[in-house]
Amino acid sequence: MASALVYAEHKDGKLKKITHELLSFAKQSGCDPSAFLAGHNVEGLVQELASMGAKRVFLAQGEALKFYSNEAYGRLLVNAVKSSSPQFLLIGATAQGKDLAPCVAAKLGVGLASDCTKAEIAGDKLKVTRPIYAGKALADIEFLSGPPYFAAIRPNALSIGALESGTQAQVTAVPLDLSALKSIIKDVVKGASAKLDLTEANIVVSGGRSLKSSENFSILEKLVEVLPNATLGASRAAVDAGYRPHSFQVGQTGKVVSPTLYIACGISGAIQHLAGMRTSKVIVAINNDPEAPIFQVADYGIVADLFQVVPVLTEEFKKVLSS
Amino acid sequence: MNIESLVFLCIFLSANAYFAYKVLILFRLAKSSTGTAWSGNRLDHIPTRIQVFFTNVLGQKAVLQKKGAGLMHVAIFWGFLIITVGTIELFLYEIFPPFSFEFLGSDFYSVFVVLQDSFTVLVLLGLSYAFYRRHIIRPAGLGKSYDADIIIVAITGLMVTLLGMNAFRMIADPKWFDSLMWASSFFKKGLESLVVSPEIGDSFFKVFRWAHLTIVLGFLVYIPSSKHLHILAAAPNTFLKHLPVSKPMRTINLENENNTNFGMGKISELSWKDALDLYACTECGRCQDACPAYNTQKPLSPKALVLDLKDLLMDNKKAVLLGKQDEIFSVIGKKITEDVIWACTSCRACEAACPVFIEQTDKIYESRRNLVLMEGKFPTELQTVFKNIENNFSPWAMSPEDRDKWAEGLEVKTVAQLAASGENYDYLFWVGCAGSYDDRNKKVSRALVYSLRKAGLKIAILGKEEKCTGDPARRMGNEYLAQTLIKENVNTLNNYKVTKVVTACPHCFNAIKNEWKHFGGDYEVIHHSQLLATLIEEGKLRLTKEQPEQSQEHPGGATKSKEKITYHDSCYIGRWNGEYAAPRKIINSIPGVEFAEMDQSGPSSMCCGAGGGRMWMEEKIGTRVNIKRTEQALEKNPSVIAANCPFCMTMLTDGIKAKELTGKVKVLDIAEMVASNMQ
Repeated sequence: MASALVYAEHKDGKLKKITHELLSFAKQSGCDPSAFLAGHNVEGLVQELASMGAKRVFLAQGEALKFYSNEAYGRLLVNAVKSSSPQFLLIGATAQGKDLAPCVAAKLGVGLASDCTKAEIAGDKLKVTRPIYAGKALADIEFLSGPPYFAAIRPNALSIGALESGTQAQVTAVPLDLSALKSIIKDVVKGASAKLDLTEANIVVSGGRSLKSSENFSILEKLVEVLPNATLGASRAAVDAGYRPHSFQVGQTGKVVSPTLYIACGISGAIQHLAGMRTSKVIVAINNDPEAPIFQVADYGIVADLFQVVPVLTEEFKKVLSS
Repeated sequence: MNIESLVFLCIFLSANAYFAYKVLILFRLAKSSTGTAWSGNRLDHIPTRIQVFFTNVLGQKAVLQKKGAGLMHVAIFWGFLIITVGTIELFLYEIFPPFSFEFLGSDFYSVFVVLQDSFTVLVLLGLSYAFYRRHIIRPAGLGKSYDADIIIVAITGLMVTLLGMNAFRMIADPKWFDSLMWASSFFKKGLESLVVSPEIGDSFFKVFRWAHLTIVLGFLVYIPSSKHLHILAAAPNTFLKHLPVSKPMRTINLENENNTNFGMGKISELSWKDALDLYACTECGRCQDACPAYNTQKPLSPKALVLDLKDLLMDNKKAVLLGKQDEIFSVIGKKITEDVIWACTSCRACEAACPVFIEQTDKIYESRRNLVLMEGKFPTELQTVFKNIENNFSPWAMSPEDRDKWAEGLEVKTVAQLAASGENYDYLFWVGCAGSYDDRNKKVSRALVYSLRKAGLKIAILGKEEKCTGDPARRMGNEYLAQTLIKENVNTLNNYKVTKVVTACPHCFNAIKNEWKHFGGDYEVIHHSQLLATLIEEGKLRLTKEQPEQSQEHPGGATKSKEKITYHDSCYIGRWNGEYAAPRKIINSIPGVEFAEMDQSGPSSMCCGAGGGRMWMEEKIGTRVNIKRTEQALEKNPSVIAANCPFCMTMLTDGIKAKELTGKVKVLDIAEMVASNMQ
């Protein structure tokens, strides 16, 4: 059985969904999945990795690994790969994955298929698909170098399998040689916006001028808190009215976003706004005015007062997501 | 020749030599400018230019656009012309005494003397008003100017010494034109009460004469480095002005491989016309008063821009003349910042207001070209716009495949379809990106097709083959991208042998009509407001009080009778192309509506804030242009604000939203008003 090593990405003590996606994929493809986990006080995550399907966990721990660094994590991952010689090496095409993967590939001297949207394992071969020319075409890629066959796969591209309880993973410690490191990240100072970056979020909840005040944005914030991997956006009119700073602006002159789910609340959908979000996978529009152009691009439209709809949505999401 | 005359002659000649030297430097500075953009033939249509000279230089027509200041200037200007003849006589009198123009005939000389005396008084009146205006009224555009004060004092000195000189001459020679020189003799009577003898009168005659001539010569030396340089440069600048109302942007020859520098990066890269513009500036501030950017607290003032460019050129003249490239100043610096250059909405209000026909927009366009093509410096938002125009042929990232979706169900045929079936059509409807993709403006496109069909016209479109005209890229300095699109579009139109084009977008209209000629595209282009006005005039479209039922064809919103309508002039139909009448004709032909003109309308209309690519830029500095313009419209308490441009439509609609008047005040395109009021 071909072995697959998955890079386990975590944040704030929780494994990211991409890790689950990659492990499920490896398991469903008939591989022998293992995971590489690095951090400080993260042994608690080992059990979770096991329930996602990892049979073996390469664990690197230490104070110096509290924060992600390309140098330390990269070095350790390379060591784990060298000691276990997996057939497939899988990583998420997240900000961290995109930072780590090229350096690991270079150190291993193997090719890397980055930003993949589809993956398929047949026997000991890996076939991936990645968009090229800004998504205008898709390229199917097979590997000439390797093993390991190394791919960085976009979040939300693969489905997740059910968690299994009672499974155990064999833990192999990966030693950390502090003296070899040129830098150690001591602290990460977060900017004013603690929220997820607009362009990275999986779900964007945007508000328009109809919110009428910056205080009223709190009803959208509540919705954002409930949804996973979600963040807040705003239309140009809302930003112009001073409800939100310019960094929140979605549209032609703000950020161009393409999340899986875009919820437009009280946004009429002027062309400047559409230009910034029309490539979102699923668009939900909530607006009083049935004539609002936003409904033309929306997959789901709710013609109603957002002040009534959004709190109900928040409550319903809470119920569904907690069950 | 006596010794006195000889001394005077020397002084006279040195002052003139110095003046000539200064002017020569200015001439050489203008000539050494290396701007590479083609700024048009400025010596064509000589009879028209002569006519312009008579109406605007001698007739002072443009100056008189402002009544008070205009009349003041007319008095001083004509005084200057007439009194200069007297000054020449005086110089000759000094060098060859006792020279006089009297030999030309006593009747002529009498008129001459009366005119001299009367204009002295008129100039003094003009100067008093000038002083009053500068120091009591203090109009914002004028600003403080020591230079101007020096000149007011100097000319006042000239007039007073002139009156004094004549008065003392009358005392020395009591018969000397006493009865004709009414002003001077009034002065004389005052002096007589001091019992002045003819001998003393003669000495004072000389003192005042010399004082007068000293000021004249001092003036001559002072002019070339002062704001009064305009008395030399304004007349040629007027004669060499861009003649037609409409004006294409200067074309850069991108095929010329020897062109390695584009736009105006250094002060030496002005064109000769730009330099002459700087010399001609009178610092009157009318451009600044008219500027929508300045009036919403942006760092741009067209007046300051011109004066800063002039200062840069003057302070740097040595390096420019010697061609020392390393020492030549950049245009962008402490005074002229990038924000100044990007604040312009290209509305051309400055040029329309300028009494000496300075072309401010060209300086801004040339500077933008340099920033974009040479430096790669532009507001980050433009990166997206340029990329979209390049990839999707529209400033918005919309798919070219969807360009004809606005026409779904209307069954408008494409030129290609008609060509294949051998059918004819009356007009190609150039829809433009806003009319194709923007939901609000799609309604305008549909309303126009509906109206034109009703008038019996057959309309064709290019469909998916239409691309952005490149105009936004051009106004934002990306000449390369703009020319790529212009050439592709011209190619498409020429392939289909298109001859007549109608469009609802003033920016497309201006580009296709005035600018594509330089790229091999010559078409009869008409704006939809012009075409609709003609159709109404010819009786092919009849507007009615009766409300036709709202239909799918014109869902843009109906205008009912008893609506109060105000009209916002779009810059590119108004100032750039001189069409003010057609849209007003249409509104006034809707029975039962009340039309209210905004305070700033026609040539002095204020921009909506979207021109010059501002549509795609953030407005981070100052207050918003569109809000200000919307407020001006709301002063008239309209129920409808009429527009004829997709971008004005967006800006005014946003303004109405910001004022929370959505539903109470409608913004409608002229075409929608026609479509919803047709019989």
